[in-house]
Amino acid sequence: MAIVAQNSKYGQTGRTILAWAVGLLFFFPIFWLVLTSFKTDADAVKPEFLFFFTPTLENYTNMTENYDYWRFATNSVITSVFATIFALAVGIPCAYAMAFNPSRATKDVLMWMLSTKMLPAAAVLYPMTFLTKSLGLFDTHFMVIIVLCLINLPIVVWMLFTYFKEIPKEIIEAGQMDGVNTWGEIKEILIPLAWGGIASTALLCFIFCWNEAYWTVRLTTTDAATLSKLIEGNRAPEGLFFGRLSAVSAAAVGPIIVLGWFCQKQLVQGLSFGAVK
Amino acid sequence: MSNRTLPRLLQSPAVLLLLVWMLVPLSMTLYFSFIRYVLNNLRRPEWTTPALSNWRGFGNYEFVLKSKDFLFAIQNSLLIVCSILFLTVILGVLIAVLINKSFPGQGIVRVLLISPFFVMPAVNAVLWINMILDPVLGLQGIAVAGLNEMVAGLREMPVLGGFFSLWPEFNPISFRATQTSAYAVIIMVTWQWTPFAILIFMTSLQSEDQQQKEAAILDGASTWSQFRFLTLPHLGRPIAIVVMIQAIFHLSLYAEIEIVSRGNGNKNLPYLIGEFANNNIGAASATGIFAVILANIVAIFLLRMIGKTLME
Repeated sequence: MAIVAQNSKYGQTGRTILAWAVGLLFFFPIFWLVLTSFKTDADAVKPEFLFFFTPTLENYTNMTENYDYWRFATNSVITSVFATIFALAVGIPCAYAMAFNPSRATKDVLMWMLSTKMLPAAAVLYPMTFLTKSLGLFDTHFMVIIVLCLINLPIVVWMLFTYFKEIPKEIIEAGQMDGVNTWGEIKEILIPLAWGGIASTALLCFIFCWNEAYWTVRLTTTDAATLSKLIEGNRAPEGLFFGRLSAVSAAAVGPIIVLGWFCQKQLVQGLSFGAVK
Repeated sequence: MSNRTLPRLLQSPAVLLLLVWMLVPLSMTLYFSFIRYVLNNLRRPEWTTPALSNWRGFGNYEFVLKSKDFLFAIQNSLLIVCSILFLTVILGVLIAVLINKSFPGQGIVRVLLISPFFVMPAVNAVLWINMILDPVLGLQGIAVAGLNEMVAGLREMPVLGGFFSLWPEFNPISFRATQTSAYAVIIMVTWQWTPFAILIFMTSLQSEDQQQKEAAILDGASTWSQFRFLTLPHLGRPIAIVVMIQAIFHLSLYAEIEIVSRGNGNKNLPYLIGEFANNNIGAASATGIFAVILANIVAIFLLRMIGKTLME
């Protein structure tokens, strides 16, 4: 027995080291991005300054001149926030109806919603460009918001539905007995009860909107262009500008990574559509 | 009866919006795929406006099927998707099992591991192709140069030098050529999506039957057979879900391809559609319909598989 215990003690230490090594390896590219963002463009490509260098904030302070960062960041915030709000405004009533007043079609409707998510965006590339241009909505915040809202609506409805399903029906029915109308049920009973679920759905929806890189690139040029467009449009001879490129990239992904840490669990539920618990 | 009608009506805005979102562009794609429709053609200006009189039947489909790029794009799409799936599932299972039991700093390692998933695809591509994989300025180039320098130094050694002088000079790999850039895409997407697989598998491992496991340990089952006969079957469903969800996401991979391999011939279906759409809308639409069919094949499997348990 003693040998077994000894073995498992070594095993435990070995596993801890291995686990940390894997974790650090996966995080390394992000660390590297942040580290490079504190180097000057000249230092960033010199092997002798790989880890030891004089840190500078100049890449961050010059972000506005180099890349007009804040305009793109503002667009990202505006479009992601409004798309999330709209998705919730449409999604909450829908998920409410499906969770508490299901009909025979509910299951099929949910499945169908999921299937819209599987439609490859590229297949409708030209019609979408054609429609937005002929409606005069090309490169407008409005169009980006609508598109972001719609591509995330299925996930929002699904996540809300899985949260709402956990709420006992009796609580909602008790409200009906008391003569509360439907709107009152949603506002005064459902939303306070499912607050946590709604918040994490919103967070996840926001993250997906922020990272979206197909429609935001294809349907904008300058006025409504988001950070995805900024980074993707900036492929010129970057070799010489690693420092400033890292700064703008780190500024684009930093806040989202931190937000992401808070909603790991919800991510599982949202992306596996509740199938993995 | 009537007090249930209103609540049910509440789902109609979402349903209607999604219906319009899906049907309008898709039916336009279908229509464009059957007509001659190009953006610029000086000799046949009538083709530049969509009209039924430009009907081409299945001509666009034939054109697309015959083009060399189409077959290559399909192969490349499948190569990229399958490699990513294979790597993320293997790595995901191994890492999830590794970090599932508690150890000092488990929470921090989890946070480190999940972070890549939240990186914006455009940043992911720019970061990997420039700062890490670049053969001269990236870490790869620096590492290979350092290795060569080290070997050169060892050649000077009195006895062992003879051995090291047999070593070749190492060359960094350029990830911007047609084939290698597909590998670059595979590497960066695997880095981004392995965390997703880990997260799903870990969530699932937490619901593994511990009593069964303890019984197996008492019966003297080795770690391997515990993994093989208890853990792996338990992970069957989550693996299927990870595969299906990723297949759907990666079949429409775009930003990474666009950034890594613009103009070097490495393309997948969405990228090919984008190329056609610069002028030949008919061909772009026909390719789009092929992409829809491909995605549907995957989607049908997914819906069948997860549909049953979702409604329990």
